[in-house]
Amino acid sequence: MDFELNEDQQAILESVQRLLDQNAGPARAIALNKEQRYDDALHQQLEDSGFSSIFHNFAENGKPAGLEAALVVEAIARAGGVVAAGAQILVAPAVSNEPISGPIVMCTEDNLAKPVPLRYGAHAKTLIVLGDSKAYVIPLAAGEMAPVRTSFGYPMGRLVDIDRFQSPEKPGETLSTDAVGTMTNWWRLSLAVEAVGTMDAALQHTVAYLKQRRQFGRTIGSFQAVQHRLSHCAIQLEASRWLVREAAFHGAQREAVAAAAAFALDSADLLFTETHQLSGAVGFTCEFDLHVWSMRLLALRQELNGVAGARRDLVEARWGQRGK
Amino acid sequence: MNTGFSAEELAFQSEVRAFLRDYRNVDGFYCQGHQWPQVRALFAAMAEKNWLALSWPREHGGLGKGPVFEYILWNEVAYARAARNPLAAGIVAHTIIRHGTPAQQQTWLPRIRSGEVHFSLCYSEPEAGSDLAALRLRADRSRAGSHYVLNGQKCWQSYAQDMDYLWVLARSGTQDSRGRGLSLFICDKQTLGITVSPLPTVDGDQLNEVFFDSVEIPLDQRIGEENGAWPIVGEALADERHIQFPPGRLRRDLEELVAWLNSHDLGNDPVVRHRMANLTAQVMEAEALGLKVLEAMVRGRNAAVDAAMNKVIHTVTCQDIARAVLDFGGPEALVSGCRPELIWRQSLTETIGGGTTEIMRSMVARQLLGLSA
Repeated sequence: MDFELNEDQQAILESVQRLLDQNAGPARAIALNKEQRYDDALHQQLEDSGFSSIFHNFAENGKPAGLEAALVVEAIARAGGVVAAGAQILVAPAVSNEPISGPIVMCTEDNLAKPVPLRYGAHAKTLIVLGDSKAYVIPLAAGEMAPVRTSFGYPMGRLVDIDRFQSPEKPGETLSTDAVGTMTNWWRLSLAVEAVGTMDAALQHTVAYLKQRRQFGRTIGSFQAVQHRLSHCAIQLEASRWLVREAAFHGAQREAVAAAAAFALDSADLLFTETHQLSGAVGFTCEFDLHVWSMRLLALRQELNGVAGARRDLVEARWGQRGK
Repeated sequence: MNTGFSAEELAFQSEVRAFLRDYRNVDGFYCQGHQWPQVRALFAAMAEKNWLALSWPREHGGLGKGPVFEYILWNEVAYARAARNPLAAGIVAHTIIRHGTPAQQQTWLPRIRSGEVHFSLCYSEPEAGSDLAALRLRADRSRAGSHYVLNGQKCWQSYAQDMDYLWVLARSGTQDSRGRGLSLFICDKQTLGITVSPLPTVDGDQLNEVFFDSVEIPLDQRIGEENGAWPIVGEALADERHIQFPPGRLRRDLEELVAWLNSHDLGNDPVVRHRMANLTAQVMEAEALGLKVLEAMVRGRNAAVDAAMNKVIHTVTCQDIARAVLDFGGPEALVSGCRPELIWRQSLTETIGGGTTEIMRSMVARQLLGLSA
């Protein structure tokens, strides 16, 4: 057993971090989000430098590089990247050996009849759809998604023309039956991975502020009651991080993924609440960068039935479906 | 013990409810920043009934009613989502009644009572949030002694963009005088040297920064003694304890959530029902604590600890309901301006504004439990 990243993994992390230091970060996220734009340049750089295809390209002995891909997605989330990293780097390669044109967004088959806001929806070129028994890869034409106004940290959009999706035979490619379980697990895991990177950045930003913000003649971070709460956040974050990495390492098995997602997305709510509460009034203003990450935590909790969905999946994976 | 209202109080509650029927769409409790003309009109209509001066002494033009009537009024207004209780008729007027000169009372009270003028509270500063006694905004007498000159900055002011006057706490003593060197001023927002700048907030709304650049304020716009504002500020907050966090808002939040769940066929989900049971109990708890604060006010007891407990329970419940709204609402709840998003958004700063949860808990620890600082 070894929880240390190996040399290759460290090199991948350092390399993607260098790219993100130059091409991502809170100021860039704020500017892009203000205009509900997608970071096409970062998306392209991630593709050109091979990070988007790391899942297959770093596979060893037929075992996909799920952990390495997760590390990259975690780093992108930490940097506040405005790219559909989870869908592109984790989910798409897990369900298809062929490259899928991005930006990619994901939805359930129900959402084809009743569209909901989707992260990066207005910019998507491809829709991967999760049904009960099938999954589909559907290329999107311009204008099929309309932007949705939101303050939850991601540009969003929803399907506007749903007629062509209503017949049982969907347009685009129908994936193999196995793809349903695979997609569910990697999608759920990708949410948890993004939550970990996002929580990490939110907590770091808050801790840095509380180390210098003084009230009552001392830094706020020096109050024991505040320290205990920040410690609790750090513990939840670290537990989430390792649950998530373990699930990625083992190829996104259902039970491990559901546990990781249930824990990480539950922790995301705690991290949102505590980082804002402990930052005080400035934490709710746009001039304080915390919102770049914190608001995203709440958006991540809304996908794929959020914490409740992960918990139900966990119970079913461990004990079987009710009545069976 | 009797936790109910008297016949006269219940009759007043009915009158308020009937009055508010015409204002059910104002939505000023949640959206005052967007609905200010409508909220102002509501206050003007309330002023015609002299309800803005409901609890003021009769000799100052008030109706002389007690805290129970005030509680009923603002609790119903909160339940109707019509408005938050205005600063002018509350903190400002009560302070002027208690500490203003007869001339100040004559100048300001009729204008407040009629709903003509409205105030924004200017207390917090970049370096003085919870630690208010550290504030730095200077108020120095001019060389001739004819007026004060204010220099410095306030921040995180709610609704300052719409208000007519600012209720400003400033340092007139030395910087290390803490609470002993503060004075209160009324500043016309149009005075030369005052700049109000929006501070956009994460929810798409705004707070404000207020800059004072050599702002000249007449001596007769200082309320109370020079350097004597600290106890006055505490007193004024105490006046508002029973109406600052009306549980009617929570009751309405809860009812809206229940209606939404039923309209989406989620009312029978056992997980949902379990969570709603907890939230319902929390709302009832907040209602009970709200009444306990009121009872302390009626009896003239110090309600500080009761109010601190009430504020914690009220605001945490408010956020717990909002969290449930988001969780049940799914991705649709992320759309700006939709009702679930609005309920969530309005809960965000409740545990910060008006004294943070942490300050309230410290107060309970010290004053109720006797734990030393």
